[in-house]
Amino acid sequence: MSLNKIEAARGWRIRSTQDLAAGLFMIALAGLALFLSRDLATGTLRQIGPGMLPKAFAWICAGLGALLAFNSLRYHGEKLAGWSWRGVLFVLGAAVVFGLTIRGFEIGPLKVPQLGMLVSGPLVVLISGLAAEDVRLKELVIFAIAMTTGCALLFKYALGLPIPLAPWLLGI
Amino acid sequence: MTEMFANLSLGFGVALTLKNIALCFTGCLVGTLIGVLPGVGPIATIAMLLPITFGLDPVGALIMLAGIYYGAQYGGSTTAILVNIPGEATAVVTTLDGHQMAKQGRAGVALGTAAIGSFVAGCFATLIIAALGAPLTKLALLFGPAEYFSLMVMGLCFAVVLARGSILKAFCMIMLGLLLSTVGTDLETGQERMTFGFPPLSDGIDFAVLAMGVFGFAEVLRNLENPETRDVVRTKIGRLLPSWEDIKQSIAPCLRGTFIGGTLGILPGNGAVLGPFASYTIEKKLAKDPSRFGRGAIEGVAGPESANNAGAQTAFIPLLTLGIPPNAVMALMVGAMTIHGIIPGPQVMTKNPDLFWGMIASMWIGNLMLLIINLPLVGVWVKLLQVPYRLMFPAILIFCSIGIYSVNNQPVDVAFTALFGLFGYLLIKLGFEPAPMLLGFVLGKLMEEKLRQALIISRGSFMTFIERPISAGLLLVAVAILVIALLPSMSKKREEVFTE
Repeated sequence: MSLNKIEAARGWRIRSTQDLAAGLFMIALAGLALFLSRDLATGTLRQIGPGMLPKAFAWICAGLGALLAFNSLRYHGEKLAGWSWRGVLFVLGAAVVFGLTIRGFEIGPLKVPQLGMLVSGPLVVLISGLAAEDVRLKELVIFAIAMTTGCALLFKYALGLPIPLAPWLLGI
Repeated sequence: MTEMFANLSLGFGVALTLKNIALCFTGCLVGTLIGVLPGVGPIATIAMLLPITFGLDPVGALIMLAGIYYGAQYGGSTTAILVNIPGEATAVVTTLDGHQMAKQGRAGVALGTAAIGSFVAGCFATLIIAALGAPLTKLALLFGPAEYFSLMVMGLCFAVVLARGSILKAFCMIMLGLLLSTVGTDLETGQERMTFGFPPLSDGIDFAVLAMGVFGFAEVLRNLENPETRDVVRTKIGRLLPSWEDIKQSIAPCLRGTFIGGTLGILPGNGAVLGPFASYTIEKKLAKDPSRFGRGAIEGVAGPESANNAGAQTAFIPLLTLGIPPNAVMALMVGAMTIHGIIPGPQVMTKNPDLFWGMIASMWIGNLMLLIINLPLVGVWVKLLQVPYRLMFPAILIFCSIGIYSVNNQPVDVAFTALFGLFGYLLIKLGFEPAPMLLGFVLGKLMEEKLRQALIISRGSFMTFIERPISAGLLLVAVAILVIALLPSMSKKREEVFTE
């Protein structure tokens, strides 16, 4: 965190892109919170309104973010590393697909019936499995079937949770 | 004293029913099973296993959750010793000597010492909780809103100082957690706050959704990125039971560790995290030949492991007596308790004594279970450690997805969790450690409520926090700890502790 005199003498420049981005991120979030809570009454200390704490927290967040960004110009720190879009796409995509198919959905003309866990389960495993760089398809397919069977037995029968298995096929 | 034993016997009466023993056993077993997996820390383990307790009655569910917690802790130590991957901050110390012992073919002894040390620590910690539970609860009943608010401020200050990485960033995370906690309907006026007019948000952000997104999904993304180097010990595990010589060497460190960890764990900030570090440093100072440390000294496993377990258990004290979770794991327990309709706090002991004492008694039983389960099952854990990550994370994902869906039977929640997964991944990329955020999030609602009450009572005067002696004392401690941590000499030391 500290700089020697020679380094410090070189003036301000971006010394940690990670910290700078982190600071700006905090400021942006605080800005969003302030925007969303703009219509909420702040109230007085005697009678605190619904808006007081969100606004106060947001201002503190913004202040901390500014400090973080400011420090990134003075102290060395980590660089911003790249994103792994593959992971984000497949892992989070798998979860979204699960949410969409487990009980079905309707968005405009698009209609998916209730598929239940016997379809959604393997889908999650298969889609998310693609995120690994050393993915092996055959192994993944077998694993998907095994995991779904295991989860169906565990959640539906052993724990008795009301989760649809395959309403279109089994009626449960 | 007699009251304490009467209470404990009530607790054992509850915990020793066949059903609750079975739940405690299952909890410990599955907790260890998931906790052993490299890259899955206790927070992720509990978040993932939360749904399997949904169908149970509150007492059974809490007993099982506590079992899961110990199991996850112990599983983390196993991973630390065998693979050199610490599941969380407190297991870092165990990797130093534990993994060295494993490399020298003494993995079994290291695991055995850890298990026995944890058991001894657990026994003492259970007694400490039983002894302090009642008096602290009485103290808690004296606390007014101002004291509660100051106590939480102090807890959050501790959490900032004791978090890994930069203090400023930990501060950011706490504040972000507090900010997120204000989303949803305002309790007093019923106005919607920052919900985007989106109905699922009007109840606030669901705790399970946030926890599983940030600790389940985002962790998967983080792990996927770092191609793992698993250094699974290839030598034999060897005998499990320590020899007489080993026991003689580790008994004093174990007792010292228990004392240090147990004491630090009571602090209403994340004190438990310091236990293993403090114990390791002390053992190294006390040793005749400090150079053995880092090369497989058994004291370096016995002390910190005992401290870890004692702290893990006494961390329940602020939660059960004051209703204030000291760290992210306990914050998760608050979420779990709330799902089962129990609001943690002093009233739990007076209103549900069988739940309170049953849970405490089950802590001791859980520690015994761990000893019984772990020693014979080490072979199974070693096999589990060899499961490649490409299969592990799809399994985590399907488990989390089903789990989140089951919390409210809401498919939308799963998509929300994915969103928070993205959010958590972004935080990790920006160098934030998300654990303090969870703590801030859980404390946020309570803090707001207490702040409002305190200011209504004092008619809008902030002086109430300074005029009331207990509250002033707590705030003073909070300021002191922040100042000390920000002193240049201390911040250097702090860096050393957390990078060692």
